[in-house]
Amino acid sequence: MYPQLHIPDGFLSPQISLLLWVATAVLIGIAVRKTSRTDVRLIASQPILMGVLGAFIFAAQMFNFPVATGTSGHLLGGVLAGYLLGPWAGTIVMATVIGIQALLFQDGGLLVLGANIFNMGIIGTLGGSFVARGIGTALGGSRSATILGAGVAAWLAVVAAAGFTTLQLGLSGTTNIAVGLPAMLGVHALIGIGEALITVAALTFIAQTAPDILAGVSAPRKASPVRRLAIGVVIAGGVATLASFFASADPDGLEAVAEELGFLDAGLSAPFELFPDYTIPGLDGTASTVVAGLLGMIVVIGVLLALGRLARSRTKS
Amino acid sequence: MEPRGVGRDARAAVITTLAFVTAVALLPPGSYVALLLAWLLVTFAGALLGISPGHLARRGLVALPFVVAAVPIVFLRNDELLWAGSVGPLTLQISGAGLRIALTALLKAWISVQASVLLLALASPPSIVTALRRMRLPDVIATSAGLTIRYLELLRDEARRMLRARTARSASPVGVGRERIGGTIAWRARTTGNLVGSLFLRAYSRAQRIEEAAASRGATGSLSVGTLPVADPRLTIKVVGVLVLVLVLTLAGVLLPRL
Repeated sequence: MYPQLHIPDGFLSPQISLLLWVATAVLIGIAVRKTSRTDVRLIASQPILMGVLGAFIFAAQMFNFPVATGTSGHLLGGVLAGYLLGPWAGTIVMATVIGIQALLFQDGGLLVLGANIFNMGIIGTLGGSFVARGIGTALGGSRSATILGAGVAAWLAVVAAAGFTTLQLGLSGTTNIAVGLPAMLGVHALIGIGEALITVAALTFIAQTAPDILAGVSAPRKASPVRRLAIGVVIAGGVATLASFFASADPDGLEAVAEELGFLDAGLSAPFELFPDYTIPGLDGTASTVVAGLLGMIVVIGVLLALGRLARSRTKS
Repeated sequence: MEPRGVGRDARAAVITTLAFVTAVALLPPGSYVALLLAWLLVTFAGALLGISPGHLARRGLVALPFVVAAVPIVFLRNDELLWAGSVGPLTLQISGAGLRIALTALLKAWISVQASVLLLALASPPSIVTALRRMRLPDVIATSAGLTIRYLELLRDEARRMLRARTARSASPVGVGRERIGGTIAWRARTTGNLVGSLFLRAYSRAQRIEEAAASRGATGSLSVGTLPVADPRLTIKVVGVLVLVLVLTLAGVLLPRL
């Protein structure tokens, strides 16, 4: 059971993909400005820390733990990165990791990269980190309170990313929101528990082993009881709104929006076609389709053989 | 095979891949003939680079599992019903329109992955980062990405060794015919979290050592110095060629028959 959050190319409509590219670019631009001022100054040269920790997140995603036969908990690491580096720098690191996954490992598409960074980097890491900070402050701002906050936020981040992924697929006409949303949220509610447990355990380990590192990264903030209560209410309200939105979601309404925006069956309507309905002139429907299919297969096999030979000759030379 | 030197200008390759993937994404559902054309382009380019079509096709399959996301529309759309009936207690219908959308998405994903495999055959990861930097990717992201790529294998190897050590000692999966080992789920999660935590500490101290070494050599905190390759003199003409290609593919999507 792995998170299904890296959308490949072809599953989102170009309109949705470009819209999310714009949103992602704006927010990453803000993050770049924030980090170039001061977000964390642990080591003099911050890009080195960010780069190495990007590789760390990559490697940490390999760690899984057995839940039951054939099922394992596994880490995305968004909130973890946000806690260790600060929300803005953590978001840049996650965006970089997601970009490298797409470019080097074909894990997630290129045109939809903006969407994937939006779901896991912006929603998951940036949003998750602020929720984590808020919960930590509301609970009193002690080290264990902020770690608990990170755990809750880690769960929320995975579930929210899954929700947004499904909404985008639904608006692109590639899934049915009424069925897809509960399924995705259900699965990721379980996956999120693994994420939360690993995040809490990792942060606890670091806090016990090297408290000085964490002290520089995200110092627990003291806040007045009123302020704590206010932050708590805001977060609870936000989560409740999001939950009710996803729970009821008025799926038919969303579907209707998708229909209206014209994403379903998106595409250009043909002014004319060379071979209407795949038929070859002079043959009746079924026979013509079969002949067209056979011709297609012959072409494909021929191309495969020819190109295979070409590839071999190019490798030798 | 072309040389994959770090010093080469990879901008043309990056632009071509992005433009091609965009053109494929723009094809309307059911344009199988245009998709065939797109696939032919990819396999032909691959063959020129010495990559066999079969290998490329297999690499393309990584996106396959995601098609699960498109399964609901095959059964839930009410248009162009191909079949309706009941399987046991369930009443099922298969929509031709839904099937077309799912199949088109799958083919697009398959072709797009092959295109990005070709990008890697044309340009090394560091040269891709350099190309993106020249295309106005912010310095902090480019430097961070370059370093992530540089230390990726090192830390993954570290993680692999830690996982092997864990498997040898505890927390291994619940196997068939074996007693449950490795405590409760919470205990197993904590063990994994500890591994993540200690990997972070190792990565952190490595970052400190790199920083000291870099600072002692007068580094400025950016990877940009000295990595800029000679600019591709034919970049403009290549980009124009790519735009023509995109136009042809889009026209093919509009004009060629759809099923």
